[in-house]
Amino acid sequence: MKSKLSVLSLFLIVVLLVAACAPAAAPAPAAPEAPAAAATEPAAEEAAPAAAAGDKTTLEFWHAMGGNLGETVQELVDRFNASQDQIFVNATFQGSYDDTYNALLASFESGGTPNIVQNFDLSSQTMIDTGKLVPAWQLMEADGYDPETFIPAVRGYYSDENGMVSMAFNSSTPLLYYNADMFEAAGVTPPQGSLSFSEFKAMCDELKAANVAPYCFTFGQVGWEFEQMLANSGGLFFNENNGRTGRPTEVQFNNEKGVEVFEFLTSLVTEGYSPNLNNTWTDTDSTFLTQQAAIEFDSTSDVSLIQNAEFTVGTAFIPHADSSERNGVALGGAALWLLDSGDEALNRAAWEFIKFMAAPEQQKDWHMATGYFPVRADLMEDPELQTFWAENPNFATAIEQLTTTNTTLADGSTNYAVLGGRAGPFPAIRRIIVATYSRVLNDGLTPQEALDEAAEKANAELANYNAFFE
Amino acid sequence: MAQSTLDGPTAARSTVKARKRVWPTLEAYLYLAPTLIGLLIFVFIPIFTSFQLSLNRIAPFGNQTRFVGLDNYVTLLTSADYWDTVRITFLFVLGTVPTGIALAVALAILLSYPVGRMAWFYRALIFVPVIISSAVTGVLFRWLYHPVVGYLSYWMVQLGIFENMQQAPNWLGSKEWALVAVIIATAWRQLGFNVIIALAGVQNIDESFYDAAKVDGAGILQRIRHITLPLLSPTLFFLLVINVIYSFQAFGEINILTQGGPGRATTTMVYSIFETAFVGTPQRGLASAQAYILAVMVISMSFINFATASRRVHYQ
Repeated sequence: MKSKLSVLSLFLIVVLLVAACAPAAAPAPAAPEAPAAAATEPAAEEAAPAAAAGDKTTLEFWHAMGGNLGETVQELVDRFNASQDQIFVNATFQGSYDDTYNALLASFESGGTPNIVQNFDLSSQTMIDTGKLVPAWQLMEADGYDPETFIPAVRGYYSDENGMVSMAFNSSTPLLYYNADMFEAAGVTPPQGSLSFSEFKAMCDELKAANVAPYCFTFGQVGWEFEQMLANSGGLFFNENNGRTGRPTEVQFNNEKGVEVFEFLTSLVTEGYSPNLNNTWTDTDSTFLTQQAAIEFDSTSDVSLIQNAEFTVGTAFIPHADSSERNGVALGGAALWLLDSGDEALNRAAWEFIKFMAAPEQQKDWHMATGYFPVRADLMEDPELQTFWAENPNFATAIEQLTTTNTTLADGSTNYAVLGGRAGPFPAIRRIIVATYSRVLNDGLTPQEALDEAAEKANAELANYNAFFE
Repeated sequence: MAQSTLDGPTAARSTVKARKRVWPTLEAYLYLAPTLIGLLIFVFIPIFTSFQLSLNRIAPFGNQTRFVGLDNYVTLLTSADYWDTVRITFLFVLGTVPTGIALAVALAILLSYPVGRMAWFYRALIFVPVIISSAVTGVLFRWLYHPVVGYLSYWMVQLGIFENMQQAPNWLGSKEWALVAVIIATAWRQLGFNVIIALAGVQNIDESFYDAAKVDGAGILQRIRHITLPLLSPTLFFLLVINVIYSFQAFGEINILTQGGPGRATTTMVYSIFETAFVGTPQRGLASAQAYILAVMVISMSFINFATASRRVHYQ
């Protein structure tokens, strides 16, 4: 009896409160507005900018650039806002690539989806599958924008069968950073071009013999170096031509090439060339910058940061498997994706913004401030950049590495290895690879066994994802 | 009121009685309403939604779901990886809770002795870690544990325990040490809270017990064993329950220090939920099922605590 009564009364209270709140909330904003508008005639001058801001189209832009990169993004956004008086872009930092991607996916259910989002390379397939995009090619066609503006690798990476699905913005490739002072002290020639795995180790042996640093090489077990060295060795990550000609159903990274790459990466640790830094990026930088290692694997986006080191920094291409020639690298970084707001005018405004971000002026400044390379083909011949690269050769390495990538095989067919993998659950599969390092380093599995195990898990991820499209 | 008494005393008395009975309940709920509504929205409704989610496979982009019944639970309970997270969680709880409480009691007993004017300083010193966020703790320990430039290994080498940094344990990179490293960081942050609670308990014990014991010729260890600990048992029980729940839910340090690695060596149940729901390619259905299994486990652990440990609690 008592409990029934209390439940009933609780229910009543809730209903009453909800009822009391709901109508109160609706008129509340409207009520003060009317008298304010009437009463503020003397203050009209103050009100004017506010009113103008109200007329503007406001766009929500989510990005994943923290620290100095984030500041540069905000500068570019401010420049856009100042360049015209129709559109106001509100940029918000959402955390890491993973965070931004997950915040976006959550927003599809909870609302508050932004108009433009910066999403990383691996998310491409899921982004297409959301069905909530305005593909960039549609807007390009409508606007007469030539996709040939972009360098081929960039265009290829972000294209499906219709054309570019998103707008290239911050593209990167991995680099080897080396401590030039150490190489000089050891009397070792710094790496030229892309070394093979055994050439790389031979170079490490020379450095070790000269005793210039406790470690030769430093890298975090983050998945990217496996993907990139696999591409550089001509190996495929997924079937269906790396997921480029159809939805992949199986991974292929546990084939010979993958095993060779994984063997190399894990042996660097087991043979004492590299410290075991677990799954981190940051400890990699601290190891290199404190001169505990002679060479580091990192993205070109950190050139401007790493160049500030208290020693001379050089850059080089990433190595490749002994069993193959150098193929080149797949594109990294992120792109700007336009989400359909259902409002034609908003979508057009968003297109104006992403077009602005890919314009020569912005791409040039973005490149020089960060190290992400300019995505436009016409900038490769830009005189200002030519001078900049002559003075700062480290900025040019990534571009050279990408433009010299073999996009076609000897028989004239597309080199899908360097186009980069595409699959819905790629972010999850990358994490599987990250965890696989420990199976070799801690549990003593052979690289083949560890990769086979990872492949089984990855295939389950693919099957689970593909089931939504049957 | 007066009139109604005239109309019929018996009837009126019963309505008044009823009103007396209903109104206080209603009034109490009115006062509670703000909290209850908050709980309803943020706790009770999500509990039901999450159960519903756990019966579905949900596409990462959210707008597509497939009803799979109990399949998510079956997947988890038949997965070796999942049982591994359960094992790791229990190791983690066993590592943090007993050591944490034992240390806290030892420090509380030390602090309860008059340490002169500096007493407040020592207490503050021990409490500081509690107000530091777990993220900051994580970053701090990360620097201590760094395999190449970490202070911990550095001092071990300086003190001659190891010949060089390479021989010192790789705190976060080796499977054996990573869990220990995470346990140390978590226990360190929780210690201050435990000490404050234990100290309050120790100071609550009447001085006359000790005086009586001294008269009987009991030494300091005997006094601790036969007076302090038994009289502290309600506090210890409270600490046990709170710490077990806290350890089951520990997240911040793990996320910053190891992200569940190396491999899955520090992937506890909570971290696994986070990883499944919000990292990589999210699978919110599977994550909800994990959350339910964890909830059942925490609730049963608390029951076990009450059923077994509470019998040993001695109330003054």
